Amino acid sequence: MLELHGIRKTFNAGTVNEVRALQGIDLSIEKGSFVVVLGTNGSGKSTLLNAVAGSFFVDEGTISLSGQNITNWKEHQRAKLIGRVFQSPFSGTAPHMSIAENFALAARRGKHRGLSWALSPKLMHGLRDRVATLRMGLENRLDNAMGSLSGGQRQALTLLMATWLEPQLLLLDEHTAALDPKSADQVIRLTEEVVSRDQLTTLMVTHSMQQAVNLGDRLIMMHRGQILHDLRGADKARLRVEDLLSRFEEIRRREQLDESAALMLSERYV
Amino acid sequence: MTLLIGALTVGLILSLLALGVYITFRIFNFPDITTEGSITLGASIAAVMLVNFHTSPAVATIAGMLGGMVAGAVTGVLHTKFRINGLLAGILVMTALYSVNLRIMGRSNVPLMDVKTLFSHNWFGTDTINVFGWDASAHDVTALLFSLGMALAVVGVLYLFFRTNLGTVMRATGDNDQMVKAQGSDVEWNTILGVSLANGLIALSGALLAQYQGFSDAQMGLGMVVWGLASVIIGEALTGSRSLGLALLGTVMGSILFRELVAIALRWGLNPNDLKLMTAIFVLSALVLPQIVRSLSRKGGRHA
Repeated sequence: MLELHGIRKTFNAGTVNEVRALQGIDLSIEKGSFVVVLGTNGSGKSTLLNAVAGSFFVDEGTISLSGQNITNWKEHQRAKLIGRVFQSPFSGTAPHMSIAENFALAARRGKHRGLSWALSPKLMHGLRDRVATLRMGLENRLDNAMGSLSGGQRQALTLLMATWLEPQLLLLDEHTAALDPKSADQVIRLTEEVVSRDQLTTLMVTHSMQQAVNLGDRLIMMHRGQILHDLRGADKARLRVEDLLSRFEEIRRREQLDESAALMLSERYV
Repeated sequence: MTLLIGALTVGLILSLLALGVYITFRIFNFPDITTEGSITLGASIAAVMLVNFHTSPAVATIAGMLGGMVAGAVTGVLHTKFRINGLLAGILVMTALYSVNLRIMGRSNVPLMDVKTLFSHNWFGTDTINVFGWDASAHDVTALLFSLGMALAVVGVLYLFFRTNLGTVMRATGDNDQMVKAQGSDVEWNTILGVSLANGLIALSGALLAQYQGFSDAQMGLGMVVWGLASVIIGEALTGSRSLGLALLGTVMGSILFRELVAIALRWGLNPNDLKLMTAIFVLSALVLPQIVRSLSRKGGRHA
């Protein structure tokens, strides 16, 4: 389904600000699986997602999706296959346009946009019912500007927009990180609902261990641009927050060890 | 009365320019200065086709508009494909157009004497007609009605266009380009198309203006961006709305009102040389005053 081979990406190469964000990622995701990517800040988890979405081109490696090599596709071309929800509620919607118009845009994701009426009766007919499933009362406010809604409402609508046309791959980039706990719960519940209903292949980045434990059928832990652990099936199902904490502690200790070992070596021999 | 009708007609013709400015500045958030060259381009193409090639006025007008669309597309390509700052891209094309316009006209001014134009008609059959108790030249009233029809037709077409799938994604491009990419639409092409469309309207306005005033001049584009902005700002003050239809109509009304204000000011003895200074000061104060009022009221609130 989604195949990543030897993905490398370095930002600001050759300068003091050089960041080796991805250092050789190999990943294969089967159709219909829900993969959660967990990592600390700067681990490269969001960069991985953006590499798949096409926000930038990778330095090395190939990306293929549904049997097509999309390594050199531009962001808007990949959007034909990919639905996205961003971390910021402001990124996924057009604030000065109405809810209905935003959905009109989503209803033609990756398709030709011609001179036919955007708010067609066909769209409006299905829209009301689908928005009503959010149970936020937004189905009566379809003419309101997107910018007048709360962050949680906008993320819920963005998720609905990303899945309006069933995507081959759904990318969720810490899509609840900017929300208050109650809205975050609501959006997570909606995410589970939508993903399980349509059996969507999903790649979700999070830094919430609770979400990482509760959601998905496979967990990938990233650190310093590499995949550290890859848990699936029974291992994933058995996983608890404490296990994750201990794994992070393990990383931390190993790094401390590296540093103190380096210090010791330099003191002794240099 | 003649003065009023004349000012109304020019206001309506220039409302097409204001609509073009509205598209680039407001819908696309793109400060496009190409305007000053493309209005003259439309005028000079239309004038030369009428005088030298004796084409029909409609063909000459459409040719002028197409010229503007090409100019706008060049600005759009410079900005998106070559990553040149939007203002600079506009300035480059505007500067180049000055020479292009002189080349097209062959000199700095082409008079349209004794050629049939879109404004040569008289729909009434008499020389004068009675308008609300005033005697007015039937020819002038025809010109007024014709430009009113043009302005309303353009508003109607734009309104319908911006509610199609293509038009909706173009509006979204100015609103949130990240979202447009995620919805699989090419932001660069949308921008090129939008700037091209806007400059087509601006050149159309130039082609009509040349035919109405009876000449095309290399200098006629000077200060037209600020003129268009003034119209857009007045329009927004009049309608105070972000609804698309009202915003488009408001821009037309803004253009008419601004032209009337100018006519009145000139009538009261404003030196025509000071006109552009006054226009610039007007736009500046319209941009700055709301901020000053806001900061004053905030200070007032702190004391209260």
